[in-house]
Amino acid sequence: MTLLAERPVRTTAPAVPRRRKRVVLPYLLIAPTLLATAYLLLYPLLRNVIISVQEFGLPQLVRGDAKFVGLANYARVLADPEFWGVVSRTLWFTAINVVLIMVLSTLVALLLVRLGKWLRLLVMGGLVLTWATPIIAATTVFQWLFQSRLGVVNWALTTLGFEEFRDYTWFADGEATFGILVTLIVWQSIPFAALSLYAAMITVPQELYEAARIDGAGAWRVFSTITFPMLRAMFGLITCLEVIWVVKAFVQIWVISQGGPGRATTTLPVYAFQVAQSLQRYDLGAAVSMLMVLLLVLALLAYFRQLYRQEREA
Amino acid sequence: MSRAARTVAALVVFIVSVFPVYWMVLTAFKPTKDIQSATPTFLPASITFEHFGTAVAAKGFFSFWRNSLLVAGGAVLLALVIALLAAFAVARLQWKGRRAFVLMVFMAQMTPWEALLIPIYVIARDTGMLDTLWMLTLVYFMITLPFTIVTLRGFLAAIPVDLEEAAQVDGCSRGQAFRRVVFPLLAPGLLATSLFGFITAWNEFAFANVLIIKDQDDRTLPVWLSSFNNTFGTDWGATMAASTLFMLPVLLIFVVLQGRVTTGIVGGAVKG
Amino acid sequence: MSRSAVLLVLALALSACGAEAGGGEKQEITVWLMKDTATDEFVSKFESEFEREHTGLDVKIQIQEWNGITQKVTSALASTDPPDVIEVGNTQVAQYVASKGVTDLSGRKSELGGDDWIPGLAEPGAVDGKQFGIPFYAANRVVIYRKDLFEAAGVTPPKTRDEWLAATAKLDQGDQQGIYLPGQNWYTLSGFIWDEGGDLAEQTGSTWKGSLNTPEALAGMDFYQKLQALGDGPKDSDEAKPQQTDVVAGGKVAQFIAVPGAAKLVAKANPDLAGKIGFFPIPGKTADKPGAVFTGGSDLIIPLASQRQEAAYEVVKALAGEKWQVELAKTMNYVPNRKALAKEVGGDPGTAAMAVGAANGHATPNSPNWAAVEARNPIKEFQTAVLTGADPKTAAAKADEVITQALNSGK
Repeated sequence: MTLLAERPVRTTAPAVPRRRKRVVLPYLLIAPTLLATAYLLLYPLLRNVIISVQEFGLPQLVRGDAKFVGLANYARVLADPEFWGVVSRTLWFTAINVVLIMVLSTLVALLLVRLGKWLRLLVMGGLVLTWATPIIAATTVFQWLFQSRLGVVNWALTTLGFEEFRDYTWFADGEATFGILVTLIVWQSIPFAALSLYAAMITVPQELYEAARIDGAGAWRVFSTITFPMLRAMFGLITCLEVIWVVKAFVQIWVISQGGPGRATTTLPVYAFQVAQSLQRYDLGAAVSMLMVLLLVLALLAYFRQLYRQEREA
Repeated sequence: MSRAARTVAALVVFIVSVFPVYWMVLTAFKPTKDIQSATPTFLPASITFEHFGTAVAAKGFFSFWRNSLLVAGGAVLLALVIALLAAFAVARLQWKGRRAFVLMVFMAQMTPWEALLIPIYVIARDTGMLDTLWMLTLVYFMITLPFTIVTLRGFLAAIPVDLEEAAQVDGCSRGQAFRRVVFPLLAPGLLATSLFGFITAWNEFAFANVLIIKDQDDRTLPVWLSSFNNTFGTDWGATMAASTLFMLPVLLIFVVLQGRVTTGIVGGAVKG
Repeated sequence: MSRSAVLLVLALALSACGAEAGGGEKQEITVWLMKDTATDEFVSKFESEFEREHTGLDVKIQIQEWNGITQKVTSALASTDPPDVIEVGNTQVAQYVASKGVTDLSGRKSELGGDDWIPGLAEPGAVDGKQFGIPFYAANRVVIYRKDLFEAAGVTPPKTRDEWLAATAKLDQGDQQGIYLPGQNWYTLSGFIWDEGGDLAEQTGSTWKGSLNTPEALAGMDFYQKLQALGDGPKDSDEAKPQQTDVVAGGKVAQFIAVPGAAKLVAKANPDLAGKIGFFPIPGKTADKPGAVFTGGSDLIIPLASQRQEAAYEVVKALAGEKWQVELAKTMNYVPNRKALAKEVGGDPGTAAMAVGAANGHATPNSPNWAAVEARNPIKEFQTAVLTGADPKTAAAKADEVITQALNSGK
């Protein structure tokens, strides 16, 4: 709502502020950013939009002269029943991952706050290692762990007495593969979120906690009445970033399952890649990617609106 | 939660986060015939440096490292300088369009970079920028810029304006005040922010694959990492050895920065 | 700067220009070969000898990695200064030709000895009757076995499928695996399907249709399932995950299916096995005909955007010519691009077994969209589904649907 309320104010404001020379400074400072964004982001994005309304495959990439086809590519993608399945799967995938990441990271951060120096360093060291591991190596190792014959997971489960997991074929089952991918992405994402939350938590003044404790508040009450409200912006930012990163996750899925078995793990980026690179229909791929951006904007609209409101107060 | 429970929880978190990494490093030291065995071994029965030998002996090993350091380092530096200017404008000055600018920076983080592969390739080709490390640096710079602005802006906002003003009262110019007072306070934040950008640029494969075509001396590390594939599959020992070496620079930066990294990122994000 | 120094600098600059002009006459030709196509020695030997025979040319062979190669070749074809010769997988030629960025070499076919080319390379290299890909080398799968384990079990290399099953069952004892066959080795399954007279997809007019749900294909899968059960190959994975040569090197495995070169990797990982490894062609339904195999291999293409077409052609001509074909096949244990040359490389037992099988070589459906099928690979999913107990017909029908859709899309 504030978004709307703001508008008239902005348009009626004097177009050229004639105050002092100083007013030029901010614009000079952001000029490099604007220039870079215009040339390296907006321009390619515009080209992408143009590709999405053309017939643009491998021949057009090689020889040029692409034909304008209007919204035909969008129509084709939107009419594909598979596309909508992919969209809803992407939403589920993102929701499950982000909720798990946020809950587990919060728990890890809360734990870190309560640990002694050495244990804390140990856990932080472990998280840092995870973070620094190249995605491709981590993905391969996960794949190994879940191998049906020689995998450590099946070995451990069988050793623990779960005989039904002897040679269990994880990657033959859509839901199992989905679960493995969620595990992998959550595992890779926790370090950033947990370390950031931890660092934010230590900025909360201790007196607040002590006061609450004197009032006899339990752990959950302390968290919900002090920690969370104090760090609301931080939680918002990290959730927002994780949503963006999870939706865009591609390498992990591609290496482990290529979107299979069936369509069980085909999310939007995998779908876009299959369309754009395997079929070499860059036009359709461009259309899918623009739709993905649109979806992301819609999903994060509430956050952006709040951000905008917050900026005024700042 | 009792002390014992906390300790157990800490160990569980540690083991879960470290185990896959441990498995990777372990594999790098295992003889090839032990890499896939029916009963897993959690401690090396015999250690070999053969895989590290293969990884280091790969053709162009040094140019891979040099290029990656140049490209990742260049992108991060460029992003820091340009982001610092913008962050200063956002955090310290009042001007029309500021909110729109902040929103733009936020939305820029949503860019589906993989989808821009084709347009960026076409632009690079049409401007004669193919096969140059410059183009790659620019792309990585742009990928990291929005995040850098957001975090730096937070750091700046956390530094009291009074400090700067006091310096100005003491006769410093605005620029001097910034350089002598604000910058030292900002340094940890700068380092922390750059690490994130560094990891991103360090790992990037897709753009490096299509923007560097004929000039083989311009290839970067991720290409090396995936170069142990052959017609029969992948030499996993060498791949894991390479991965282990690959993550060393990032670890090194972490060790040097230690706590600053995390407090840094947060400082930025809290205000973000 | 003194006057003489200026003159000196000028003189140096001028002489440098002169030298450059002289050297500039040498045309630089860039050739892309895939990793492990040839040895370093072969590459440098070819470069130096070729340059001796073609004094105006400077050949630079660059070795490409497998990862992301389609994107790389695509971006090369689209660039203004691409490499002049590119080695591409035989089944990928059609896909690149669809870009209209590949030079048509039909006119040179007879000059290159095209009448004698092996069909597994020549046919996928041609699109609509025009020859774009020039056959480079081929390889196909054979059975690689442990001689010591065969001897201990008292079996000899089988000649027919029935003998093969019987022998493998006998070898599959205790912790010893009769055969290590991962569930998703779809090239091997394709061979069994071709043996039955079936195919992966069939074309009527310009329309393709997946053909796994046919009696022939299902019979092929049935045999695959019987064979696969005689060992511990994972049902939900292929030969690269885990790397099958590592598995064979570390365990007690009597046989596995791969191109002969894989034996070297096994021996390298486990030196105890060197000298104990033998080869035989994949057995057919009857003793008089070897089992059908997928002909893997490479063709050479020249990008249309290359500004050195004639020189590029000279390189192709040399690489595809008799001298270097024999040299390459000998060093790498390949099948050469011409039938007449097969005799020249008969010495190695692995190559010999491969050459027998090559006589019954087949290719995947020749459609530019075939790469899209492999990218999602419904055949692998069909295999896993059947091996883990699904109804073969239902699974095959499901896979056919995906194949049909992929092959006909974009039309």
